[in-house]
Amino acid sequence: MMSDTVAASDAATAFFEERGRRGRESLLAKGRGTVCVELTNGTETQPWLVTIDRGDVKVLQGTGHADCTLRTSRELFEQIVTGEVNAVAAILRGAIGITGNWQLLVLFQRLFPGPPKTSAATADTGATGSSG
Amino acid sequence: MTTGAFVKILDGNTFVVSDANGDIDASLTDATGLFSFDTRYLSKWLLTIDGQRLNALSTDDLNYFEARFFLVPGTGTVYVDAKLSVIRQRAVGDGFHEELTLLNHNEKPVELTVRFDAASDFADLFEVKDALAKKGTYSTVVDHGELVLGYQRETFSRATRISSSVPAKVDEQGLTFKLRIEPHGEWKTNIDVVTAGLVASGAVESRTRYARNGGHGRSSMEENLERWLGTAPRIQCSWDPLRATYRRSLVDLAALRFSPPIAGGKSLPAAGLPWFMTMFGRDSIFTSLQALPFKPELAAATIQTLGSWQGTRVDDFRDEDPGRILHELRYGELPAFEERPHSPYFGSADATPLYVVLLDEYERWTGDTKLVREFEHEARAALNWIDQYADLMGNGYIWYQRRNEETGLENQCWKDSWDSISYRDGRIPSFPRATCEIQGYAYDAKVRGARLARLVWKDAALADRLEREAAELKRRFNRDFWVESDEYFALALDTEGKQVDALSSNIGHLLWSGIVDTSKAKAVARHLMGPRLFSGWGVRTLAAGEGRYNPIGYHVGTVWPFDCSFIAWGLRRYGFKEEAARIAAGILDAAEFFDGRLPEAFGGYERSVTRYPVEYPTACSPQAWSTGAPLLLLRTMLGLEPIGDNLVVDPTLPAGLGYLELLDIPGRWGRIDAFGRERVEAEPPTGLRRQLGSTPAPRSSRQRARRRT
Repeated sequence: MMSDTVAASDAATAFFEERGRRGRESLLAKGRGTVCVELTNGTETQPWLVTIDRGDVKVLQGTGHADCTLRTSRELFEQIVTGEVNAVAAILRGAIGITGNWQLLVLFQRLFPGPPKTSAATADTGATGSSG
Repeated sequence: MTTGAFVKILDGNTFVVSDANGDIDASLTDATGLFSFDTRYLSKWLLTIDGQRLNALSTDDLNYFEARFFLVPGTGTVYVDAKLSVIRQRAVGDGFHEELTLLNHNEKPVELTVRFDAASDFADLFEVKDALAKKGTYSTVVDHGELVLGYQRETFSRATRISSSVPAKVDEQGLTFKLRIEPHGEWKTNIDVVTAGLVASGAVESRTRYARNGGHGRSSMEENLERWLGTAPRIQCSWDPLRATYRRSLVDLAALRFSPPIAGGKSLPAAGLPWFMTMFGRDSIFTSLQALPFKPELAAATIQTLGSWQGTRVDDFRDEDPGRILHELRYGELPAFEERPHSPYFGSADATPLYVVLLDEYERWTGDTKLVREFEHEARAALNWIDQYADLMGNGYIWYQRRNEETGLENQCWKDSWDSISYRDGRIPSFPRATCEIQGYAYDAKVRGARLARLVWKDAALADRLEREAAELKRRFNRDFWVESDEYFALALDTEGKQVDALSSNIGHLLWSGIVDTSKAKAVARHLMGPRLFSGWGVRTLAAGEGRYNPIGYHVGTVWPFDCSFIAWGLRRYGFKEEAARIAAGILDAAEFFDGRLPEAFGGYERSVTRYPVEYPTACSPQAWSTGAPLLLLRTMLGLEPIGDNLVVDPTLPAGLGYLELLDIPGRWGRIDAFGRERVEAEPPTGLRRQLGSTPAPRSSRQRARRRT
């Protein structure tokens, strides 16, 4: 999860930077490939490249080869990375454009958190199993 | 697939339901039309000639994906010879392709006006079921000779494009052809109806598979079906109906294959045709287990796809937890706008332990440790879910209670109707509930997880822990669920830890899971084969005499072939071979009444009373796990069990089968043949006809396994 000190308008940047800092993500242990996330804001497009290699995650800001590309507004993406909007539902309603490898997409969406107001008992997002 | 007046053809999750003329004229609640990805793309598709509807002479289901309609104009009375024949041949792909042929039998030329009226309401499957109103806007555009029907709600957009090989006059309500046919001549056009959507914004490109000039477009799907049948084990036996049932099961299983865009081209079994052509955790797993000795690739695809979609967060709306295996995924408008939780929905308490069971059983058959290694993380997360998230009462059992109280599922076990879980006196317990069979699955998941941990993941500490937990669970379960007075296991525990004490078919699943103490197994088998549970065809979901028993109640008295197939497996596991053979005999006998296609359920009436199985009316046929039931029964009758690198064959066949040979069974051994000849008397003759298991014969037993190289 991103730090609380990051301003809401930077939630997307915080999400990518946090992923880059963590480096290793057991949820993506099966994944291999590069996901490009294109964030649009009016006429401006900001691309992020997330390269996954068997659980090792590298994040770059910029363009390059991608196996799967997600294109969406920065506003919607920020709602996704704060758990306010569900990514799969957003894809189903066409709010996120997808090209390329869907299997990689299914893995990548594991990184998005659940909704913020959820049952208190077990709200430890991301902690699945004990393997690495 | 013809059911009553409706003709259904499908490919994956695209299907067409029309009347016997091939026409579609749907109201919102009426379930006809062209559907794809849970959206109706055509709700009207009417053919007229000179303004008149046609009459069907005959309708042929050529295959599950194509149908042919022979039509004539006029009244259809046999006393007037029609001078015109109309043939519609339709194949479903991504949309459908229709070849229309008109034959003039007259000595004179004819001039005709042929018209297709087309429209779409773009209803979500859920709307068709619940008659909900639409919130978006419709459009109709004529674009370069194509008719484009569209629907838009914010970014959600779906479209149907209709075009023809012979140029038509296209208006916003359809296509018109003005034509002339010479004496004894013919006229032909090909029409493509192409669905576009889930992903006009970029994802699934939808193009009908049948090129317009290809006309028939049959080849690839037909070849695919032939290859599917050709690579399945072959059956030889002296009882003809079993051969027919086996073939029917394989063909239906082919039709039920479903390749979602996220499965990387692999096919897993969907739940049922046509409304449940989607990923269901429970149904896909049970069907994959049933089909393992025949089509192990289904299990591999199920493990991969369900594993990839495994829950990773806590989400009350979707009843999602980390490690939980999904219940159902849908692609329509309501899940897209979060008016339904199926994106995907996780409200199933059994799919997660069953996922581990499938992974282990798959390895035992195929030796594919690579896949087991690849899905180690998911299997561990599933095992973790059992203890971390499912034990809502903190007493070591899996409990379920939906967190989405508006649109979530109340009963998260396979008997998911509201009244399926009851005390003997008919009272319904509150939530959360711990049904017995889920504890069995959890036990089995821990035992099998331990085996995989030792063998593949090389984690002895995990294996030890899982074995310890399994033994502890078994001890507790045999104490807490055992109804001492009548010697069976209660259907569930309620929140106070009291037994929900109705006698049900669930106890058969307990045998399958292995959680039953050996000392208690005989009493359980006696109940399963006793008059309150065994109808003569199979095991009733709820025993006669219970408060809510109703022989035609969905989960409270009907007989489910899928249920019975796992019960037979359970009986075998505890050594009750003849009892398993009696159940196989009953279900396979019943299959003959349905031309080899077992329904989801049939009435729990006593066999000797009705003499035939009374089908429970449901919208879906075939159902995947009913289709898989004869396959699992073949396995249990032959006593097929992978032990190490060998397949052990230990047949116990009902009388009337004579001999049974299954050739080229795939597995870690390559290909092996299994052969059996035996006799078990299943039921006294009822006089209706010769029934399986009813012919007394001298007892003999033989078995053989041949390795093929």
